[in-house]
Amino acid sequence: MDFLSLLKEKEILLFDGAMGTELMRRGLKLGEVPDKWNIDHPEVIREIFEQYYKAGSDLVQTATFRANGVALEKYGIQNLLEDINKSSGKILRSICPPNKCVIGDIGPSGEFLPPVGNASINDLKKGFQKQARALAPFIDAWHIETFSDIQEMKAAILAVQIESNKPIIASMTYKKTPKGYFTVMGNSLIDCVSELIDSGVAVIGSNCTLSSSDFIELVRVMRVTAPKFPLSIKPNAGNPQLENGKSVYKQTPEDFAKDIKQILEHDGQIVGGCCGTGPTHIQLLRDIIDRLTGG
Amino acid sequence: MVLIMDSIYEEMAASVVELDMEKAKSLAQKALDEQLPLLEAIEKGFGEGIKRVGNLWDAGEFFLPELMRGAQVMQEAVDIITPHLEEGSRARETKGKVVMATIEGDIHTIGKTIVATMLKANGFEVIDLGADVKAEDIIAEAVKHRADLIGVSALLTTTMIGQKKIIELLEQQGIRDKFKVILGGAPVTSKWVEECKADGYAENAVAAVTKAKQLLGLS
Repeated sequence: MDFLSLLKEKEILLFDGAMGTELMRRGLKLGEVPDKWNIDHPEVIREIFEQYYKAGSDLVQTATFRANGVALEKYGIQNLLEDINKSSGKILRSICPPNKCVIGDIGPSGEFLPPVGNASINDLKKGFQKQARALAPFIDAWHIETFSDIQEMKAAILAVQIESNKPIIASMTYKKTPKGYFTVMGNSLIDCVSELIDSGVAVIGSNCTLSSSDFIELVRVMRVTAPKFPLSIKPNAGNPQLENGKSVYKQTPEDFAKDIKQILEHDGQIVGGCCGTGPTHIQLLRDIIDRLTGG
Repeated sequence: MVLIMDSIYEEMAASVVELDMEKAKSLAQKALDEQLPLLEAIEKGFGEGIKRVGNLWDAGEFFLPELMRGAQVMQEAVDIITPHLEEGSRARETKGKVVMATIEGDIHTIGKTIVATMLKANGFEVIDLGADVKAEDIIAEAVKHRADLIGVSALLTTTMIGQKKIIELLEQQGIRDKFKVILGGAPVTSKWVEECKADGYAENAVAAVTKAKQLLGLS
């Protein structure tokens, strides 16, 4: 379904939960590239997508977080870029109900611009463009997420805008400092929001790193900076701890849902979960949203 | 004289904190021209500067670009002085040799690079193997370079297991006692260090330097 129409029609949209941690639960091993499961284990990817739609997600994103040109080159599998992205897009499109959306997921390159790294903005942009071209035929909107450098984010936005005219949700990742919310590169929340508004995206978001309770304050600051803009948030389910070789997220889905409810009562418009969240979290959020909107 | 020296050292430290490359280089040249004690100029001057940069990073005042720029300023100033150290009374003694890498399957380099930078700035010799390095290769390099310390970083809970593999391989090869092993990365906790039987970890880059010194009996 057309993303902007759905956004207009519903007061609140429910995104999906994590992909990476769901794959770990299903046997993703040390050193494996999760995105490669789109071609090696498409039935597992399909099952996770289905679970999210079934749990009530309006938006589910492709399993292509690392499937941009630069990141795949680091893994030495850049030749699989098209196959990975097309397979994920095709699977998700084939099971998406008519009143819901397929979102194309784009994560950061993993490289840094000087002085932190040696990447060139042009190489990063080209890498995103290749991914956007492969995913474009299958998707209703884009989620460019987990970026900590606004310059890299702007390169990704531009790359997507060259390849597609579908709306973009742009989510930066922040950390909390004594002076407020900043990305690890030192971009302030307020600066990022302003730059994103200027870049022509449809929705401004934030995801990962912070837990749901930290997001309550973060969303308030975002709302003040962008009073009328649709906001999207995908917090982590607390922070992971390793127990007997498996990562465990200690925050309960109920605690997570309670924080999101508080966010929805004030500011959020699109909500979902990042690392550590699964269909249980999404189901709880569905119930909350339905109660809030009378749906 | 001591007061004058202290004020030059302070200027050197300030040049690093202010990320002022030109000022730092001209102060390094001044140290040579005026035959200042070169080792002190590095440690009390530029070295002090990078420690302050590290503290500002930990306090959330500085971010990655400032941290990396500060390290570059310090490095260029030290590079001007280093060739002349042997001509002075004594060479700058290395605090120890560290082989560092981000573990196999993990391409996150920021944390490891920050710690490597801070260790270098504090007088350690660092051999940085980069990211996505096999446990076997990290050990081979440590043996080859006769390292004192092995530092292994992992950002993902999926790749953390590789940190444990390092210790297991060292034990299998009967060389566990040749190296101290420190672990790094956002998901690493003291409990995980215990579970791996590693020698330690630190919450941040400044603490990593303290931990490295402590493990090598330097503090």
